[in-house]
Amino acid sequence: MTQRRFIVEPRGLASIRLSIAVPVLSVLAALVVGGIFLALTGENAIEVYGEMIDAAFGSSRAISETLITTAPLILTGLAAAVAFKMLVWNIGGEGQLLFGAIFASGVAIWLGDGTSSAIAIPVVIMASAVGGAFWASIAAIPKVYLGTNEIITTLMLNFIALNIMNYLIFGSNSPWRDPESPQFPQGRPIPESASIPEFWNRLDYGIFIAIAIALLAYFLIYKTRWGFELRIVGDSADTARYAGIGVSKKILGVFLLSGAFAGLAGGLFVAGPVGGLDPRSLDLGLGFTGIIVAALARLNPIAVIPVAFLMAALINAGPALQSIGVPSSTVTMLQGAILIFAVAGEFFIANRIRRPERTDAAPDKTEAAA
Amino acid sequence: MNETWPIELLAAAMVLGTPLIFATVGEILAERSGILNLGVQGTMLVGAVSAFWATFNTGSLLFGLLMGIVAGALISIIHAFLSVTLRVSQIVAGLALTLFGTGLASFLGRAGDDPLVGNPSAAVFEPILEGGLADLPVVGPLIFGHDIIVYLAWLVAGLASYYMFRTKAGLSLRAVGEDPASAEAAGVNVSRIRYAHVMIGGALSGVGGAYYVLSVRLVPTWQDAPIGAAGWIAIALVILASWRPWRAVFAAYLFGAAARLGLTLQTLGEPWNNVPSTLLATIPFVLAIVAMIVFASGERARHLGAPAALGIPYFREQR
Repeated sequence: MTQRRFIVEPRGLASIRLSIAVPVLSVLAALVVGGIFLALTGENAIEVYGEMIDAAFGSSRAISETLITTAPLILTGLAAAVAFKMLVWNIGGEGQLLFGAIFASGVAIWLGDGTSSAIAIPVVIMASAVGGAFWASIAAIPKVYLGTNEIITTLMLNFIALNIMNYLIFGSNSPWRDPESPQFPQGRPIPESASIPEFWNRLDYGIFIAIAIALLAYFLIYKTRWGFELRIVGDSADTARYAGIGVSKKILGVFLLSGAFAGLAGGLFVAGPVGGLDPRSLDLGLGFTGIIVAALARLNPIAVIPVAFLMAALINAGPALQSIGVPSSTVTMLQGAILIFAVAGEFFIANRIRRPERTDAAPDKTEAAA
Repeated sequence: MNETWPIELLAAAMVLGTPLIFATVGEILAERSGILNLGVQGTMLVGAVSAFWATFNTGSLLFGLLMGIVAGALISIIHAFLSVTLRVSQIVAGLALTLFGTGLASFLGRAGDDPLVGNPSAAVFEPILEGGLADLPVVGPLIFGHDIIVYLAWLVAGLASYYMFRTKAGLSLRAVGEDPASAEAAGVNVSRIRYAHVMIGGALSGVGGAYYVLSVRLVPTWQDAPIGAAGWIAIALVILASWRPWRAVFAAYLFGAAARLGLTLQTLGEPWNNVPSTLLATIPFVLAIVAMIVFASGERARHLGAPAALGIPYFREQR
């Protein structure tokens, strides 16, 4: 047996310190990598990052805009977190978000102006959850009852949802399309009664709904019997079966819940800042960013909240970059780098690396001497 | 209405299917070693921008293709390191690579004072034969009328098939994907094989990406997302091709046809041109989902030939 230079051993329970340090270091490492590429293309990385921080936090307007993006990101982050915790690989947050938006705007338009806000807003938000869960069910039902790989089906459903939204706005005279603007296709504005009120610049109360749902998700997973059984299934489906837990039903439940969370992200966007089914404002990749949020938050629903705020800041910095001549895709590149370092960090949270002890090396020496 | 539309559809399907063949065969090699790489989409884009940049600056198609290969192989090391050395979730690692690659390709295409974006390619792959055999009915456009990369795709599929099923190295590859512990016991270096095949897969994805921006039949201009969703489709094609390179050729052509069908229907006149293009664009994705559910659900995926150790990190110390 050859002498190993390093020994890798499992740490057992992850320490809280590492659980915080690793994501923070991941972001810093990604900024360094991004800085190298920026420097290679002749940009001053410090200046670019300064501009990004300014764009995301530099004024009360900037902070409120960052919080507007935070709300749906909390929900797509939760969607990924609850699913991944159960080893349900729902990569379809994107499509589920869009279907949440389609359902929410559809119901809001159907309700019209006559309904009071006290009814319209909850109904519209519920509709978005149903829309997301419905879109997830197309992948969830075959997975649970036939064993179909959900990674591919959820991915493909993203593209189908995007095209359906485009069909509703660009390809047809659907009720979702604004009849006032035939030349420039856009979503029909939802009635005022279905819009969540704003309280600070453009920021609406949707952010509190998102935070409340994150707290609720934490409670559900860590403080209820249902959540306890869920975590057993996530650790080992066989153990769960042995304990008499209905595994299929649990997986179906989590998959639909995950879809509902992503759908709610679309609903909050429609009932909040976007105000209709507008493809240009909804197709932002928030579903995929949710996966980064979940990974950095280490699948913890509470941690999703601050991480979503950070990622929202990164997204909102994109347009500001363009104005100083730096490609806005810098943001996507940084997001990818953050996720790369975050998954790499999982290894260091789970394992301890140390040098082999001297006693291991001693016999080699004596052999060599002999 | 044009009477030759079925032939035109098939010929176009072969062109659209060609980059899918490279990416799918590449992913088959990686998955046969037990590594699921969801980074194909990002790898193809990095290959595409590298190839376009190299051809743009030198005018050489060969150099462009080589840069696509090298860039695809190099960027794939990220996935190999994460999933083989660090043994983290291959799914999240692959998604990370796709995000990073997508961002990087778009960034490189737009960065600098004189960005690539919007520029046509400095050279393009064109059909080898003009007239003669290429003018024959049916077989002309289908067999003789293509550029060299279409034929190279056949060669790659054939070589991959031969390698996997007829050579000793191919046997080791399949052993690593089925049962890494036994393969290791038999003296095979599991990590080395996995690294190598993830990188070969990346190189082939790089070729696929390069073809999109260097073929006169596709869109030889640099834009942000020149490959559509090809990388994602390729991952579905691996399963539909049941992890066999030759079947990947036919699966890729089928999806090429599905992607082209919308455009063909537009030329057929009433009532076909009334179907909205946004809905026609969903055909390949709907086809992939239906095919997955019907042919590859549950145990059927195993019978198709899914490697038993696919996606499972291998811990040598535990054996």
